[in-house]
Amino acid sequence: MSDDRHGSDGGTTSGESRMTWHVPEEDIRAYVRGELAAPLLWSADTHLAACGRCRQTLADIGDPVALDAGWERLDAELDAPRPGPVEWLLVRLGVADHTARLLTASPALRRSWLGAICALLVMTVVAADAVRAGATPTLFLALAPLLPLAGVAVSYGPGIDPTYEMSVVSPMHGFRLLMIRTVAVLSVCLGLNGLATLALPAYGLHALAWLLPALALTATGLALSSRLGPVLAPSLVGGGWAGLLLVARMNTEPHTTLAPFTAAGQGVSGAVAVLAAVLLYLARDRFDASGLPFSDFTDRNAA
Amino acid sequence: MIATVTASGLSLRYGGTLALDEVSLRLGEGVTGLLGPNGAGKTTLLRVLATAVPADRGSFSVLGHDPGTTAGRLDVRRALGYLPQTPGFHQDFSAFEFVDYVAILKELTDRTARHREARRVLEAVGLSDVRGKRIKRLSGGMRQRVALAAALVGDPGFLVLDEPTVGLDPEQRMRFRELIAQAGEGRTVLLSTHQTEDVAMLCHRVIVMDAGRIRFEGTPAELTERAAGRVWSSAERDPSARAGWRTGTGAFRNVGDPPAGAHLLEPTLEDGYLLTLDARTEVAA
Repeated sequence: MSDDRHGSDGGTTSGESRMTWHVPEEDIRAYVRGELAAPLLWSADTHLAACGRCRQTLADIGDPVALDAGWERLDAELDAPRPGPVEWLLVRLGVADHTARLLTASPALRRSWLGAICALLVMTVVAADAVRAGATPTLFLALAPLLPLAGVAVSYGPGIDPTYEMSVVSPMHGFRLLMIRTVAVLSVCLGLNGLATLALPAYGLHALAWLLPALALTATGLALSSRLGPVLAPSLVGGGWAGLLLVARMNTEPHTTLAPFTAAGQGVSGAVAVLAAVLLYLARDRFDASGLPFSDFTDRNAA
Repeated sequence: MIATVTASGLSLRYGGTLALDEVSLRLGEGVTGLLGPNGAGKTTLLRVLATAVPADRGSFSVLGHDPGTTAGRLDVRRALGYLPQTPGFHQDFSAFEFVDYVAILKELTDRTARHREARRVLEAVGLSDVRGKRIKRLSGGMRQRVALAAALVGDPGFLVLDEPTVGLDPEQRMRFRELIAQAGEGRTVLLSTHQTEDVAMLCHRVIVMDAGRIRFEGTPAELTERAAGRVWSSAERDPSARAGWRTGTGAFRNVGDPPAGAHLLEPTLEDGYLLTLDARTEVAA
């Protein structure tokens, strides 16, 4: 809610000396009717908690029943978790507040994890920039697709997500939660990879050859995790990617673009990504209960 | 007893172990205790009933819903409150934020209603005053109460509690028992424990499990009655006893088949439990 919507009349009382704006009467009327939508609603809630003048306006306008409902909302607001910057931004971008909370609770979006990704990317970019050998930054292109794969892998599963067991038995479909977290991790990882790509302008579009392999590896890892679990599946996919690159290296002249980063290789990556996405969708119900060995649960006494 | 939760022939094998072996049971309103030693299959049974893992064979129903179907499983989960044996937390969340998060998982998407519910359950477990505190700064007992509050979100009709009093000091345990007793009013609660005091103080019915099978199902009084005439004291450990342990008086308390002329004692729930397990254990206390 911007200040210009509210004005700065400076007409504050002693108990609200820091108030520089007040909720417009039309918003208070909408608030009373329960029609004021977030984020205007949250601003009004927060402001009403601290501003006697607006509370009085609310009391003058509202009927007692509606006013009680307003107080109840206000009580709830006083306890409301303060959103972090990412959550705040997501809500401002139109993401529902409950979805934003689920997104930002993803274990892979913790600062430590993001810091590790950034450090890794910076080192790789610096190395690629310092040692130019061929038309593509091979080390960067080899590493970048693994980051979203690993990020998604550490977003969901027993032993990784501390609330996994509670999540599994919640009414929210496990596949939906997985997809919410995948979108969160993919967005962040692809964004960071994209920034790293911009730091390698000398390679031109060749530096973007990580994108389709990243989507292919992530989708394949997820599709396999429905059967192999959230640890083994991405490990196998990551290992397979490393093996593929080694084989390609052995069969390619030095300083020549490796097969996965050629146009044909990109086409294969795209096809694999689509196929894996379809398989993942078909296997969605397998994420609705844990088919994993009990030892994978995070308790002390499995049986 | 009007059955609210029923199970028939539940079996589940993992590795080489038969974790559940043809388990059938009926639960009604109130708190039912699930007793058994480590490895008896209690946690496995609770996970199956909570729809966390599917059984290999058998069926069950919760409040009239069949979890064998997708729609039925969803209905069961909507009616379920689950406190796992080792509840995990996002440590940087406050107690309120954590309960709020679980409420989102339980489909409470309306912000105002969700926050109201979070306040209600935190008040119910006596944590209103510390609701803004980070979970990593709470004591073990308080964390356990946060987990119970999360389980109570949405006022579930079926509450599954897996050893909630483990690791709590005696005072916290008493406090938790009060909360469980309150939670058992008007809903079905299945409480896994290996502490017979929990059952004696809280439960109107008790199930004893061992090696994946149900060994007893009835009231605590009926379990105690199993040991009637089979508990005696002696100055030394009686080798014919199935279990014997030294009590605070220095005398041995024995359970099993008493010798002629033995000084019989009033049985307790623990005696009935030990005899039901039919184990030859010796506990020095």
